[in-house]
Amino acid sequence: MNDNKKSGSEATKKEFFLTRWVRRLFFPAKELDIYQEEQVQSPVRTVIRNFMSKKTGVAALITLIIIALFVIITPIFVGFNPAEQDSTTVFVAPGLNMLSVPSGLRRNGVADIEVGGNYSLGCDKQGNVYVWGKSGVTRSIDLKYVPEEIQDMKVVQVAAGYDHCLVLAEDGTIAGWGNSILGQLDLPNALDSNNRLHNLKIKKIGASYQFSAVLTEDGQFFIWGNSNNGDITYRKSELDGHVSDFFLSIDSYFLLMDDGSVTYGSFTPAKAITKIPEEASSGVKSISGTSQTGLALKEDGSVVIWGSAAMGEKNVPAFSSPVKQVVGGRYHYTALLEDGSVVAWGSNARKQINVPASVSKAGVETLYSGANQNYAVTKDGKVLTWGFKGFLLGTDGLGRDVFTRLVNGGKMTMTIGAVAVIIEMIIGIILGGLAGYFGGVVDMVVMRIAEIVSSIPFLPLAMILSSILNARMSPDISQQQATTQRMYLIMIILGVLSWPGLCRLVRAQMFAQREMEYVTAAKALGVKESKIIFSHIIPNVMSVCLVSITLAFGTSMLTESGLSYLGFGVPSWIPTWGNMLNGARSSTVIQNYWWNWVFVGAIFGVTCICINLIGDALRDALDPKSNGR
Amino acid sequence: MGKYLLKRLFYLILVFLVVSFVMYMVYNLVPSDQARTELEPQKKALGLNYQATYEKLRAQYGLDDPILVRYARWMGFIPFGPEHPKYPGQFHGILEGYFGESTQYKRPVTEVVGTPMVNSIQLNVYSTIITLAITIPLGIYCAVHAHSAADNAIQAGTVVGYSLPNFLVAILFIFLFAVLIPIFPTGGAKTPGSNYTGMADYLDRLKYMLLPILVMIFTGLAGMTRTVRAAMMDTLSQDYVRTARAKGLKEKVVIYSHAWRNALLPVSTSIMGWMIGVFTGGSLVIESTFGLNGTGQTYYQALTNKDFELALALQLFYTLIGLFGVLLTDISYTLVDPRVRIDK
Repeated sequence: MNDNKKSGSEATKKEFFLTRWVRRLFFPAKELDIYQEEQVQSPVRTVIRNFMSKKTGVAALITLIIIALFVIITPIFVGFNPAEQDSTTVFVAPGLNMLSVPSGLRRNGVADIEVGGNYSLGCDKQGNVYVWGKSGVTRSIDLKYVPEEIQDMKVVQVAAGYDHCLVLAEDGTIAGWGNSILGQLDLPNALDSNNRLHNLKIKKIGASYQFSAVLTEDGQFFIWGNSNNGDITYRKSELDGHVSDFFLSIDSYFLLMDDGSVTYGSFTPAKAITKIPEEASSGVKSISGTSQTGLALKEDGSVVIWGSAAMGEKNVPAFSSPVKQVVGGRYHYTALLEDGSVVAWGSNARKQINVPASVSKAGVETLYSGANQNYAVTKDGKVLTWGFKGFLLGTDGLGRDVFTRLVNGGKMTMTIGAVAVIIEMIIGIILGGLAGYFGGVVDMVVMRIAEIVSSIPFLPLAMILSSILNARMSPDISQQQATTQRMYLIMIILGVLSWPGLCRLVRAQMFAQREMEYVTAAKALGVKESKIIFSHIIPNVMSVCLVSITLAFGTSMLTESGLSYLGFGVPSWIPTWGNMLNGARSSTVIQNYWWNWVFVGAIFGVTCICINLIGDALRDALDPKSNGR
Repeated sequence: MGKYLLKRLFYLILVFLVVSFVMYMVYNLVPSDQARTELEPQKKALGLNYQATYEKLRAQYGLDDPILVRYARWMGFIPFGPEHPKYPGQFHGILEGYFGESTQYKRPVTEVVGTPMVNSIQLNVYSTIITLAITIPLGIYCAVHAHSAADNAIQAGTVVGYSLPNFLVAILFIFLFAVLIPIFPTGGAKTPGSNYTGMADYLDRLKYMLLPILVMIFTGLAGMTRTVRAAMMDTLSQDYVRTARAKGLKEKVVIYSHAWRNALLPVSTSIMGWMIGVFTGGSLVIESTFGLNGTGQTYYQALTNKDFELALALQLFYTLIGLFGVLLTDISYTLVDPRVRIDK
């Protein structure tokens, strides 16, 4: 009675007086005296009621359930590939603005767009330059800072490389910005605005992975930049004067000559992309390419593709009408047909070939494509976009999407924690139950084992076990299998090393319970001892063990993360919150790539706090003292 | 007391033997062995003779003997065989102070672990002293002013503090105090390339140790504050405290000499437990995060570089700390609380 009044008045104190009046008026409290209450409520219900009266505990429980549902349900939609690695998307900042064409560019009309990796570069019909997307390519270079003098130019053509940009002004001046240490911005003397021949008219500029190229109206071709990476020598005396177009792939290039043939401009065609097939030696209208393949569009509207088409670049669909224009992204092609429809083929890893149905009906005039982004300009000047928008939470040092890893890692961390706790429960309850029920020698042996296991420092032991058992695993299994094995290993290590706490708790409870009447009754009825322990006593003990198990779940998650953080847990192909933080061990990452640790740290921290709050609230709820008795 | 101590020591040795035997068995799971390591560089030269030479060397090292015999040799209980290439017929094991040889440093383990151990002890002693200096008064304050606004705020803070894993706190602190406000170096043991001596050297090392110490203090604060508060709350609700107050004693006297002395009992045991945990687990993570040359970092490096003899030695060291920690806890119990009788 006393207790009820006390907790009642405490609860009402925080209530707003009007709600209190309304509640008292319409919902009179059902006051039970302590004896009735005891009769009506089972201990479990009392615990639940006590728990529910604790706001922080309930809030923590709800938060934890939300997080758990989030990491269990989301992975169904965003599956992950353990082998995923992408050198082109290393440390990309979070955000979905890769396709956000600036409004100024939309308003003034597109003159040119080029995609360079994770950013895009464009100029409008007034000659203004725009950069959008993830333009911070390295720690010190952000391409969105266009130099003043280039902003003042009237730009007519743009070229976007990996870490540098080139623009062509109306008066024929070529300028650039970005990374220049590998010579990608060092214009050849003939093109330099100071001593350039005045009759030299520039037809096209190009930029790729640390090299640049320029083609003049009279067929002179210039290519310069980092020759270690790109195959950028040029048979000048042989070909100059006859070049009518060029295409720069990521590490090579080829030319379209004025006789309609495609030629490799350098000396040794070592790479697949530079081995031009016979079909492309005549009647070619225009050329394009992806990072590893080349494409020639012939006069009759057919296409020829060569190179190493690992991502399905050669799976050309049947065209409904002749092809008007083809543009290549990193691993895909997008084509505009004479009847105005747009088709795409190649890799669809980033949804880059899912052309919206509306595009074909919009009356597209020109296509621009690159990396995983596509832009189409319609006849009335509207800009349509489709393809890859960006990474919601950025990417890590191996180019993997942080969001995908975050949700899958959460699922993994929770699974490992749960399995470890189940192992711990099985061992702890069985051993504790036996020790507590039988006492004597059994108790002595079990307790000594528990003491030994718990006296060895946990983290070093788990580390050495993980390390040695891992070295022991047979080397002739695939990486995938090894990873899975290692994951199971971690679960088992965690479970096997952490049972003593639960064991002691169960044992102590057993000591109290085995003297109870119901046990005596069961014994008198001749119930088997194993049945008495595991189906009579253990269910009565479970409610007390609940706190221990909740906290053990949190501890297992923490320990797994600690181990993975140090690199002794689950290998990084399978994400867990711990090994995601492993990537944040260098101060460079902490300093420059905050998205690699902030998101995962936040969700992990919140989860840990929730588990501890729930454990605290449960402990209070179970404590008979907290009921005021 | 003496008898009890002897009994406990005997028990400790027994446990240590069991644990070290288990660890030795685990160590034997490593797919390489001494003979192979030694022959590996000559593998090409030996050609077809490799297998025969290997078998012979194995026999000489006594690697084919039963594991118990090998364990006893490793511990130094029984001598090596007469044909052992290095120590024929000699006792040469842990009891003789030989813990194996580090493959990483090509030196005996005992020489390798000296400096790291000094660093680790420094790190732990500083952080423990400061943590206790903060948490004990704070915990007492919270218990005396239980459920006040200040106490509630501190309690909320401690939940956060003790839930967050230490590596997360370390990352956060590096970001806050080494990147955002660059007052501390981000990691390392001393200024690279510096050649200080004496006091300057000590101060330089201390500068690199400050941030790790700060992290350890922060992670220790929450748990200890909660322990002290809980213990203090418990004693403050005892009858003798009420009696003391009823006698009209000053509140200070009631708190510090009546309540606190009794609260010290549960606190002292958890301090011991906490210190062991910090020394073996916490400082391991923090040292390897900051690249501080301590035992934890050495252990981490040994495991990553597959230097298992060094790792095994350090593992034994950690086990000993754990065991002695439990023993000290029990002894401190009897010292603090005269009610606990152990001479039975």
